[in-house]
Amino acid sequence: MFIFDTLSLVFVALILLGSIPNIFYSTGYLPHIKRKMHYQIHYFAFIGSMLGVVVSANALLFLFFWEIMSLSSWQLILTEVEDKSTIKAARFYFLMTHFGFVFLLLFFLIVSDGNLELGFSAMQLIASKFAYPSLLFFFLLLGFLSKAGVVPLHVWLPYAHPAAPSPVSALMSGVMLKVAIYGMLRFLLDVLYPWPLEWGIVILSLGALSSLVGVLYALSEHDIKALLANHSIENIGIILIGFGMGMIFDTLHLEVLSSFAFIAALFHTFNHMSFKSLLFMSAGAVLHQTHTKNMEKYGGLIKAMPVTAFAFLIAAISISALPPSNGFLSEWMIFQSLLSSSHMENISLKLAIPFAIFALAMTGGLAIACFVKAYGITFLGLHRSTNAKHATEVNFLMKSGMVLMAGVVLSLMLFTPFYIEWFDKVFVSLGRVSVYAKIFPDGVWHMHSVGMHGGMVSPLVLLLSLLAITALMLFAYRLFGVKTRVHKTWACGYTSSAKSQYSATGFAGPIRRFFNWLYRPDEHFDKESVAGHETKFSSSHYEVHVQPLFERVFYQSIAKLTNTISYWVYRLAHFEKTRYAAMIFNIMLLVLFSYRLFSHEFSWALAVFEILVMMTSVKILIIGDKK
Amino acid sequence: MILYLLTLVLLVFIAPILLSYIKAVKMVLLFKRPISLMQGYRNFSKLLTKETIISKESSAITHYAPFLVLSPLLVTMFFLPPVVEGAYYVSFVDAFTITGLISLSTFFLMLLGLDSASAFGGMGSSREAFISALVEPAMVLTIFSVSLMADNLGVGQAGVNLAQHFPKEHMASYLFAGISFFILLIAENGRIPVDNPETHLELTMVHEAMILDLSGVYLAIIESASSIKFVIFASLFASLFMPFGLEFSAPIAFVIFILKLFIIATFVALLEVNTAKLRLFKIPNLLGLSIVFAFLSLITFYVLGA
Repeated sequence: MFIFDTLSLVFVALILLGSIPNIFYSTGYLPHIKRKMHYQIHYFAFIGSMLGVVVSANALLFLFFWEIMSLSSWQLILTEVEDKSTIKAARFYFLMTHFGFVFLLLFFLIVSDGNLELGFSAMQLIASKFAYPSLLFFFLLLGFLSKAGVVPLHVWLPYAHPAAPSPVSALMSGVMLKVAIYGMLRFLLDVLYPWPLEWGIVILSLGALSSLVGVLYALSEHDIKALLANHSIENIGIILIGFGMGMIFDTLHLEVLSSFAFIAALFHTFNHMSFKSLLFMSAGAVLHQTHTKNMEKYGGLIKAMPVTAFAFLIAAISISALPPSNGFLSEWMIFQSLLSSSHMENISLKLAIPFAIFALAMTGGLAIACFVKAYGITFLGLHRSTNAKHATEVNFLMKSGMVLMAGVVLSLMLFTPFYIEWFDKVFVSLGRVSVYAKIFPDGVWHMHSVGMHGGMVSPLVLLLSLLAITALMLFAYRLFGVKTRVHKTWACGYTSSAKSQYSATGFAGPIRRFFNWLYRPDEHFDKESVAGHETKFSSSHYEVHVQPLFERVFYQSIAKLTNTISYWVYRLAHFEKTRYAAMIFNIMLLVLFSYRLFSHEFSWALAVFEILVMMTSVKILIIGDKK
Repeated sequence: MILYLLTLVLLVFIAPILLSYIKAVKMVLLFKRPISLMQGYRNFSKLLTKETIISKESSAITHYAPFLVLSPLLVTMFFLPPVVEGAYYVSFVDAFTITGLISLSTFFLMLLGLDSASAFGGMGSSREAFISALVEPAMVLTIFSVSLMADNLGVGQAGVNLAQHFPKEHMASYLFAGISFFILLIAENGRIPVDNPETHLELTMVHEAMILDLSGVYLAIIESASSIKFVIFASLFASLFMPFGLEFSAPIAFVIFILKLFIIATFVALLEVNTAKLRLFKIPNLLGLSIVFAFLSLITFYVLGA
């Protein structure tokens, strides 16, 4: 029934670490929610079902908990229905999550041979006998990656996560996406092993694409929760880069590097859980106080909400992969495994992987820009609205939730060796090589890459030296006794006001302009000129909206295609009975002819003759005369 | 160990002189009377005696960020490659950590720009975010390529390895990586084609716009941070792409190293005199060039082995 091996336990720990601080936060958030009972039931069902997914040992239970997880989170999105967009987001989420569910069900039906109560270990035998393993792989990809929000199945994420109440967004983004990663690990490593090289490459390229797309759309966002949701897409992409490298190294029989890359991916999974939950919690605190998700209405909140601001700063440093944070360490490991590609003998792979390095590095740079924007516009400067002016610190329970989560972030940073040792055990239990002794060959101070000319990093040394030098300078500064005077901001003789400082839209302006070919933004600029002057105007209004490319290209065109097909079906549907009979006759003809053509014998003359017969009968019997 | 500490002290002392030297060279070439090489020190000591004016909109970030801008750079100085053969060097830090530390410093600098609610600060931060996002991939790829030639990703170790075995057989990819790194040196330090450090028009500023609202000790700290950043990049360039002269005895090796720094500074000065500042949206072309050179370097290394 249930399985408690190291992989499951690691993910149980991940869910608990993600949800215990969240429970504090959620309790503090509760007075804000009207339908309390509804919320509480679904909230705890959500946490319970996630725990259920990672410990269930057969397909039936797995799917059962998976479905409860989807349904309870769907209901949680609908807790606070303020406008129609929430309902739309929930419907979209419902659709996408069941789209994935169908493929999971297909996968399980095939690998369990119809007996859904079969254990995972027995599945491997059936899967290895199945003639088209790539089909199974793509079922898995569609099933889990639609939940994890990987490009091009990420479109629901920036709608669904912001629509939920903040504690739920933190859980969905921080924890639920990781359950999908658990599924990938469990079924790829346990059931579908060994892999062909192409699978790893598919995952690597999906990861590289997601990371870039996620961060680019995050930059153009000014809804703070949608910004964070887009960053989840980015980070899942980074996890998949590590995952894909692990698979590629495994097929190339570089076992040590493979374990290293998998550990990097798992470590980043944990890190993303910690900092993304913290970010959503502090964004939720800001939202709670200012009653708006629009970043353009924030500003100067660091003075009113110091705890929230500090929590956000820690998480922002970590997600931007700045040393010595935990985000830096896992991204460092993923970079190291990418750089180890120089050991490969396959020259085309060797030349292709620098592009993944480029994508990951670009993502890192853009993430820094994005979080400077998110932090600077939200917490620094002058308040941009009256709500932001009157904001106060949130209540004690919400604060303690954030502080606990900040503790999780810091623990991942300080006790990296401990976590790595644990992740190492996971992969040892799944039949991989142990690499802990290679990562930390001489004590816990230095972390080594396992590649031949790999680098080294010493998180604790870095942290201590940074702290020591900063403290020393601060001490010297205090000793110096500098006279300070408070004065207004220099603005070239003008007075600076909330309106004259940079906005979130303005901050991302250069980047938006550079990536104009991707964003194709919808710009609206109205101004009322004074006496016909081009440059003098009494009032002006500028708005820019970025339509996600994937949504436009894939989803809307699919919707259009369905519309067209249904139009033709509709036209066929309103006929008299004789035409229906004619259609049945034609379909029978088609079946018979094609059976003869494809299975019996093939001759060109007969094929042409049959096609002519078909065309005539369709023309005369179905289409008839044009009126 | 003494040589290691001596190198550190030397780098800290030479940092303001290098920037003043660049300015002096430019002034000579423009037929102006050059400033003294000690101008950096004069500015520093003058700023220390002034009172600090803090914007009334600013928060705790303004009080701590200047220190957090400087301290990652100071930490980085401990990790640079040795100047003399046999000197102590930190072997446990790789190039990623160094780029990370530099980004950390930039991160706080950008926050500082947004803190005082001034339009110029936000403008500077926004531009800096744009430029540093594009610098990052070029930096990582260049590091990767150099690490392949030096057989090590550790900065200190790579410097030593390159000095011992000059990569004659990989001259093509070495040269490409060198060009790419030089462009990065200019972009990261805000020198002329990317940013003009001496501009007096706020609309064209990047780095200066972010610190427009600082004064007194805080300004002194940020100014020294930017000179230290330059000396870090210059000495990285000197150790990784001019890896010779380490085998002499300590005094001569030091003189050679200082000469190398001044040669790099001269090149930067000549470039500054001969080019105009690029428009902001032309900068990606320059940085794209750097990315392309880094890719070229990797590809020639892999495919041609040259």
